Amino acid sequence: MPADTPNDRKTGEISSSDREALKQRASEIGAKLDGAKKRHDVPSAAGRGAAMGRGMRIATELVAGVLVGCVLGWYLDQWLGTKPWLFILFFLLGTAAGMMNIIRQASQERTPPNLPSVKDDTED
Amino acid sequence: MIFAAGGHSPIEQFALKKIIPLKLFGFDASITNSTLFMILTVGLICGFLYYAMRGAQRVPGRLQSVAEMLYDFVASTVRDNLDDGKDGRRFFPFVFALFAFVLVANMLGMIPGFFTITSHIIVTAALALLVIAVVIVYGFMRHGIGFLKLFVPSGVPAVLMPLLVPIEIISFISRPVSLSVRLFANMLAGHIALKIFAGFVATLLAAAGAWKVLSILPLGLTVALSALELLVAFLQAYVFAVLTCVYLSDAVHGAH
Repeated sequence: MPADTPNDRKTGEISSSDREALKQRASEIGAKLDGAKKRHDVPSAAGRGAAMGRGMRIATELVAGVLVGCVLGWYLDQWLGTKPWLFILFFLLGTAAGMMNIIRQASQERTPPNLPSVKDDTED
Repeated sequence: MIFAAGGHSPIEQFALKKIIPLKLFGFDASITNSTLFMILTVGLICGFLYYAMRGAQRVPGRLQSVAEMLYDFVASTVRDNLDDGKDGRRFFPFVFALFAFVLVANMLGMIPGFFTITSHIIVTAALALLVIAVVIVYGFMRHGIGFLKLFVPSGVPAVLMPLLVPIEIISFISRPVSLSVRLFANMLAGHIALKIFAGFVATLLAAAGAWKVLSILPLGLTVALSALELLVAFLQAYVFAVLTCVYLSDAVHGAH
């Protein structure tokens, strides 16, 4: 029991006004705690690491698309003897594919990951 | 072996050296320093997990909680990115093995003088091709010929199909490329940068008089870069595991 509560009652009993005050204090502390947590969570190391990981993914995604397009176009040209038309076409297609990779990744990240369901815990 | 003094090329650390020359069925199957570190990586993972879980307790000790943390980390990655049903979970051992291998290989490479196997594209490409092979095989096993719907985006007018199908195919082929190039390029670039700055220290120390004082600058940078490289080593293993999950989820769920 906190020392500052009046002692003219039986132990273990709280007047309704005291209860209200306690409740208010609890919710105030809760709000403060949430605020502190929020301030703390934003620049957390894990969050920054995940963001860096995302950045690295995006950087290579575009390059890989263009690269694959170019290589495919180059070899198709050599095979079919259509230099340089397929190379140009596949360069453009590869760029488009790279862009699409990036857009797909970005839209995937905007939707939050699946929350673990209850079913998940009862399965094994 | 340890950070060579100036005059050494910064890419010398990636050279393959034969330790035990070996020929098998006409192929060169020599044990190189790369092979040695792969064996070391796998041995370290197996040895650590076995040792840590040897007398598994309900209240884990220090080593056991490290092993359990590793398990939990990969398990939640698989859960978030693949599936929370049974079908996604059957790939957990595969993703765990890949993550542990890449992580330990990257971390071993951070020890001065050690060989970094993930800085060779042939190694990362083999890992990436393994992932894509699993995606293709499991995709066809599960969805049959319908797995090819992956290349046909839904809700698109038929006129655009001749354009979009090649784009989807290129996008699919680019997956193993980006997966392998990302890991390889990050490790290669990081180690070259480290070596170059460390080389500056040696060069400046060898120089005359007042230049010696300046060597503190590249030394500070080398320390900072080492910290960054440790982060990158972990992140690249994590990204590899996440992308493996994302690609596998295509095989599990079929067309997106």
